[in-house]
Amino acid sequence: MRPGPVLRAMRGGLTRRRVQAAVIGVVLLVSTAASVLGLALAVDSNAPFDHAFAAQRGADATATVDSAAASPAELAATRRLPQVTAAAGPFPEAMATLQPGGRSGCSNPSPGNPCYGAGTLPTMTLVGRASPGGPVDDVILQSGHWAQRPGQVVLSSAEVYPNGNLPPGTGLGTQLTVTGVAGTPALTVVGIATSVTGSAGGWVIPGQIAPLRPAKAPASAQMLYRFRSAGSAAAVRAGVAAVTATLPRGAVPAVQSYLTVRDQEASGIAPIAPFLVVFGLTGLVMSALIVINVVGGAVVAGYRRIGILKSIGFTPGQVVTAYAAQALAPAAAGCAAGLVVGNLLAAPLLGNAANVYGVGSLGVPGWVDAAVAAAMCCLVGLAAVASALRAGRLSAAAAIAAGRAPRSGRGYAAHRLLGRMRLPRPMTIGFAAPFARPSRTAFMLVVVLLGATAVILTVGLGGSLSHVVYGLSLARTEQVRIDYLGGLGSGPSGPGAGQGAGPVAGAAGPLPVGQPMGAATRRMVAAALRAQPGTLHYVAEADEQATAYGVSGPIPVTAYLGSAGWTGYGMISGRWYSGPGQVEVPAYFLAVTGKSIGDTITITFNGRPIPVRIVGEIFDNYNNGLAMVTGWQTLASADPGLAAVRYDVGLRPGTSPAGYARQVEAALGQGYVAGVNSNNKGLPLVLGLIGSLALLLAGAAGLGVLSTVLLQTRERAYQMGVFRAVGMTPRQTIAMVVCSVAGIGLVAGLAAIPAGIAALRSLAPVMGAAAGTGMPPSYLDVYGVAELAGLALAGVVIAVAGALLPATWAARNTTSSVLRAE
Amino acid sequence: MRLHPLADDRAAATGLGSSAMNAIIGLTDVTKRYSGDGAPAVDAVSLQVTAGEAVAVMGPSGSGKSTLLNLIAGLDRPTAGTVTVAGQRIDRMSETGLARFRRAQIGMVFQFFNLLDDLTVADNVLLPAQLAGLSRRQARQRTGELLASLRIEKLADAYPGRLSGGQRQRVAIARALVNSPAVLLADEPTGALDTATGQEIGGLLAGLNASGQTLVLVTHNPGLATAYAGRVIELADGHISSDTGSNTGAEVRR
Repeated sequence: MRPGPVLRAMRGGLTRRRVQAAVIGVVLLVSTAASVLGLALAVDSNAPFDHAFAAQRGADATATVDSAAASPAELAATRRLPQVTAAAGPFPEAMATLQPGGRSGCSNPSPGNPCYGAGTLPTMTLVGRASPGGPVDDVILQSGHWAQRPGQVVLSSAEVYPNGNLPPGTGLGTQLTVTGVAGTPALTVVGIATSVTGSAGGWVIPGQIAPLRPAKAPASAQMLYRFRSAGSAAAVRAGVAAVTATLPRGAVPAVQSYLTVRDQEASGIAPIAPFLVVFGLTGLVMSALIVINVVGGAVVAGYRRIGILKSIGFTPGQVVTAYAAQALAPAAAGCAAGLVVGNLLAAPLLGNAANVYGVGSLGVPGWVDAAVAAAMCCLVGLAAVASALRAGRLSAAAAIAAGRAPRSGRGYAAHRLLGRMRLPRPMTIGFAAPFARPSRTAFMLVVVLLGATAVILTVGLGGSLSHVVYGLSLARTEQVRIDYLGGLGSGPSGPGAGQGAGPVAGAAGPLPVGQPMGAATRRMVAAALRAQPGTLHYVAEADEQATAYGVSGPIPVTAYLGSAGWTGYGMISGRWYSGPGQVEVPAYFLAVTGKSIGDTITITFNGRPIPVRIVGEIFDNYNNGLAMVTGWQTLASADPGLAAVRYDVGLRPGTSPAGYARQVEAALGQGYVAGVNSNNKGLPLVLGLIGSLALLLAGAAGLGVLSTVLLQTRERAYQMGVFRAVGMTPRQTIAMVVCSVAGIGLVAGLAAIPAGIAALRSLAPVMGAAAGTGMPPSYLDVYGVAELAGLALAGVVIAVAGALLPATWAARNTTSSVLRAE
Repeated sequence: MRLHPLADDRAAATGLGSSAMNAIIGLTDVTKRYSGDGAPAVDAVSLQVTAGEAVAVMGPSGSGKSTLLNLIAGLDRPTAGTVTVAGQRIDRMSETGLARFRRAQIGMVFQFFNLLDDLTVADNVLLPAQLAGLSRRQARQRTGELLASLRIEKLADAYPGRLSGGQRQRVAIARALVNSPAVLLADEPTGALDTATGQEIGGLLAGLNASGQTLVLVTHNPGLATAYAGRVIELADGHISSDTGSNTGAEVRR
């Protein structure tokens, strides 16, 4: 036979089942779009770093070595370890504070500080390297040339504005002065370069390092290693352990793994990537189930037609071809539309990723489109062929009989049991219906479960993310912040009038910056705060910077004067500090320094070394997680003149933050700025994204229900006709159909609660890990009892929403048309 | 006595003729077309059926027999004309109204039984009563009575799939009678049965009519028609070609 009859058979099937074809198309559109979005985001969130790391022979581990403890020969021997495939160094290194042009000003300001941009730079790690290339950490020159003689420096692009802390305009030719060392040597920027792992803030010739080192600072060097196995944190740790085992104890005070750098660089989008991957995979699984069910069901519903086709001469192969094509046609259209929609949805998100990585633009990799399209079409084809093959194997008469004969044998017990219940008969018939088709019921159960789980996960994730955002900004506990700008004495109603409240009493003109808040001023401010009825807590805060071995760049240190346990930092592990010399640090700090809770680290503050013990891991991403929180006395031991720059205030419930800020600012007078702490850091955008994805999945689940119920009502049209003939009203028909899925929805919804909670507890820490931080346990306890009770209905809502349309159609069918004798 | 089509306009408008007092079914100029330009399945038919009558509707395939029955049962709507059953004008009723009407006034018996295979015999019979809102006690009592009168009480817990054709049709008749309908309509009730069983069912229907049940049955079996119906209406091409028997009150169109 020519292809013509097969095509006619296919077209006829499509024409007869337009609604089913439309459902297949829409399901494929939604599933394809979700899969493209999820996969593309996951792939692109990792690709830039991985490609650059491989091309530049990035260092798996960057080690800081105590030059006094390990000899060059010992270090050279580490190159020959079986775990090491390549090594570079030792390169002499020094921590240096640079200032442009030698101007004085604020010390170590961070962006946002009024002093920022006024001409001072943060402390950074300078490394002495004769050339940018080497077996490990090939540094790529972006502009200029490598340092060739003393007095020249190549700066890291990570330090240059706007990526780092260097002020605008710092570039080739900029003169920098190294402060804190004898002779205040000058350096001229001759090049800007990039190390994929950010191994240094700048590079000079090896002989330049010694003069740049502060007098009492120990001599240290940098070793760079690539390991035979470095695909995981455990593998990198094993490699590092092999190296340190061959060196004297304490010779390697700090090691940085490339994995922490990769995670840090991907922090803009990687936290969401696991979520997107999970949703993408869920979308794939759901779409697979729905497609299999719809396509398979469509073929089964057409058994009678298949039998007729065979009876007039179609071969089994032609039947299979016709029905596979009948499914593939709308599927291909839906898939094509889904690719377009997925690419459109991915564009804004990938744009963000491109900004983070500085790679220009990112798009959906072509192979993602091709892979998703191929996977979807294969799925549809397999489902259609598998079902059609069954029919193809039957004889024509058997196929016709199978299409006409009512199904029997299942669900009888359910009908009997439910028939005894004191509920309207249409409802009990509906509730019993799922038991007659267990495989179809199982499919709907799984699909609704996935959709409801997505909803519950999203609600929980929204709660956790809210905790994250408010935990980072402390906006829920420190509702008002009062910044000290130097003070001009008292204002019109200032309580400090005439009491030496400000150090520049009577000054006029612009406010001098950087004036310390003395003890008298602090007493005045505290009195003003206590006088406000809305004040619940308050604490003075000093913001300083310290340095530590193995950490490139300064470490912001927040020191609180007084009780600060109420400030609201999320505790991941450990405890809040209880005395001097104890500090809290974020997870990334621990990863970079290789320290753990209970370890001691020496920081340098005000030129003095201070050993501090890490007692707690907090949830904080200030300075990308390289920060520290401690009590006043920890820093005051090295700087008796330590000064507060801010007061943090917690308000009584019901107090308006804006009103409180206005009142306290008026009370304090000039020199103080009181502001409401409200920083949601893009939370609405993220919540919108995950909410959209959850709706997408819930919608897909609803589509799955719709397509199945449509199939069932068409199969049971005859039975529906009988019900109508004996007096079932259209409304009762709708109730019957809706009840046939409501029970499934309720069961699925109840099962989705533990599934959603488990998914949140699994996913949130993974997302946190992707951002280089842990997750406080309290951030995962986000479901209230009432909330869960409502969420349990998610399954019912999805199921009922999916069933309403086909139920309405079934109720509209003319009774006589479905009862016409054959 | 037959009504002339133009003699009694009022009667034609209401569907009731000179036998208005006893007419339980009245069709006036009823036409049914399934497609806009096709030939009508039923063409301007007018007839009345009095209470307690047994009417057989006969005709070749495609003559409009089943369509006529569906119009009387409210399973379909006429394209034109009026249909009145048990005093209710049903041609303009809503679907909900028709469903309630069928529950209360119509019992239908089909050629292929149309039983629900996943319900027991008793549940099949109970269903219309439950839909009509009868109390459980009343419904079960009525069901028991009917099953007993039709001699199938022992099959109450059986499923239709395991019954013989005759047994299934008895169940269908019981279901049709559970709400004590004004009219019992049977569409080829013996068409799927062997001769002996068909005669049994025919006898059952005749017995019901003898006790006062109005019966309209569609059949292509002349023997069944003459044996169990007092009046035979023949349809051809959607028209009534003949109407013989007592108390017809029918109009003949040629």
